[in-house]
Amino acid sequence: MVFGKRSIITLAVLAVILGLVYYFLMNRGITYIWHWEQIPQMLFYYGTRFAYETKPSLHLGVLMIGFILTLKISAVAIVFAIVLGTVLGICRLSSEPITRGIAFTFVEIIRNTPLLVQIYIIYFFAGSMLRLSAFAAGTAALAIFEGAYVGEIVRAGIQSIHKGQAEAARSLGMSYAKAMRHVILPQAFKRIVPPLAGQFISLIKDSSLVSVIALADLMFQGQQAVARTYSAFEIYFTVAALYLVMTSTLSMATQYIERRLAVSD
Amino acid sequence: MIRVKNLYKTFKTPNRREVKALVDFSTHIQKGEVVVIIGPSGSGKSTFLRCLNRLEEVDSGEIIIDGQDILAKKANINKVREELGMVFQHFNLFPHKTVLENVTLAQLIVRKRDKEKALKIARDLLKKVGIAEKESVYPAQLSGGQQQRVAIARALAMQPKIMMFDEATSALDPEMIGEVLDVMKTLAREGMTMVAVTHEMGFAREVSDRVIFMDGGQIVEEGTADHFFKNPTHDRTKLFLSQIL
Repeated sequence: MVFGKRSIITLAVLAVILGLVYYFLMNRGITYIWHWEQIPQMLFYYGTRFAYETKPSLHLGVLMIGFILTLKISAVAIVFAIVLGTVLGICRLSSEPITRGIAFTFVEIIRNTPLLVQIYIIYFFAGSMLRLSAFAAGTAALAIFEGAYVGEIVRAGIQSIHKGQAEAARSLGMSYAKAMRHVILPQAFKRIVPPLAGQFISLIKDSSLVSVIALADLMFQGQQAVARTYSAFEIYFTVAALYLVMTSTLSMATQYIERRLAVSD
Repeated sequence: MIRVKNLYKTFKTPNRREVKALVDFSTHIQKGEVVVIIGPSGSGKSTFLRCLNRLEEVDSGEIIIDGQDILAKKANINKVREELGMVFQHFNLFPHKTVLENVTLAQLIVRKRDKEKALKIARDLLKKVGIAEKESVYPAQLSGGQQQRVAIARALAMQPKIMMFDEATSALDPEMIGEVLDVMKTLAREGMTMVAVTHEMGFAREVSDRVIFMDGGQIVEEGTADHFFKNPTHDRTKLFLSQIL
């Protein structure tokens, strides 16, 4: 392989940076004894879980249990965020000033306050009034927060569809709702797949915040494991890698969907 | 069939200027009549068409279609539009649907026809506009002329009583205008009530029953195509015709 002049410079810079990091770790850094051998059993282990289990078998380790809960929270929150976002996006474009105003205010409040605060409010305030489980409260908080962003994406998507499309649909006798459902939204959704994917990747990452209401997601399980073993580096690296597995899978799925949707272009 | 009385329509431009698109516009279109509207750009031709199916709302006036006051509060505009086919300058086909789906969609969800009947009507119409072999492709893969013929089939599939053409050939390459005009002429000869805004004088001459010349939101002159091209009376009409012919 032949490298150009610029790639050689880039590689040189990278080598210098890595060298400096190595130097500081070795000479100025902390003394740390790595215990990577603890990690595999946090993913899967072969053994017995309870005293009454006589035969050993393959079980999920704590990090995998957290991974699965994070998947569940994210999946449910994504579904509700799409529904909420679509409603918000349509309401933002309503000809009715009150509907438009309410949607606008809702989006602004949600987008301009921290998710962490919203999680606490929903869990302690709404959650205790409505007797919501931590799962329901955490998922609801995520769906509402990301739904506000999805609403803005959907609004932009609808506005990007040429108004001739709505005119053609309406002049064929379709009601506003039918024109939206059959003509405008399918085209808008196709166009907003990339920004939506970005939003859902954020959602997966933001879901780590629900660990604060003792929802035993990947982040929470990681923290617990660190408290037990003091192996902070190994565990957090693993936790990060597991989040990366989820987000990059979503990313690849999106590219596949984009290719599939491109057939009518 | 269509009675229009004292229509007024004003647009506001972004810099708050008012543009009078229709000024005391009145006309009467008979069943089976083919009316061609000509005039310089900005004369209100397209606005008039768009007011007929309320894509634009008039400021005041009266529009009676088939005995029904379509501007009345209780008028169901979606029902009215089912009877008013419209063909646009830029086709406005649904790009995410195939040709066949474009022609069946409104039949299925608006006319509530069963799928078999909708497909048969769609295929017959696609054959009629000469594009049957393209039923499963997407609009983006068609030429402008082909797209416009599909758009005509889509409007006809609703079996409307009136067809409106809003500069249906203005966005087409010259060599494709003929194929679209041929479809329009066939329709006219079959007795369809048609209102067409167009710059195609050949079309006006061949099939129109009446030509309306508009300027400044008003009818300047109207009459048969013969009258128009042989002895127009108004200076404004003469000037316009001398510029386009």
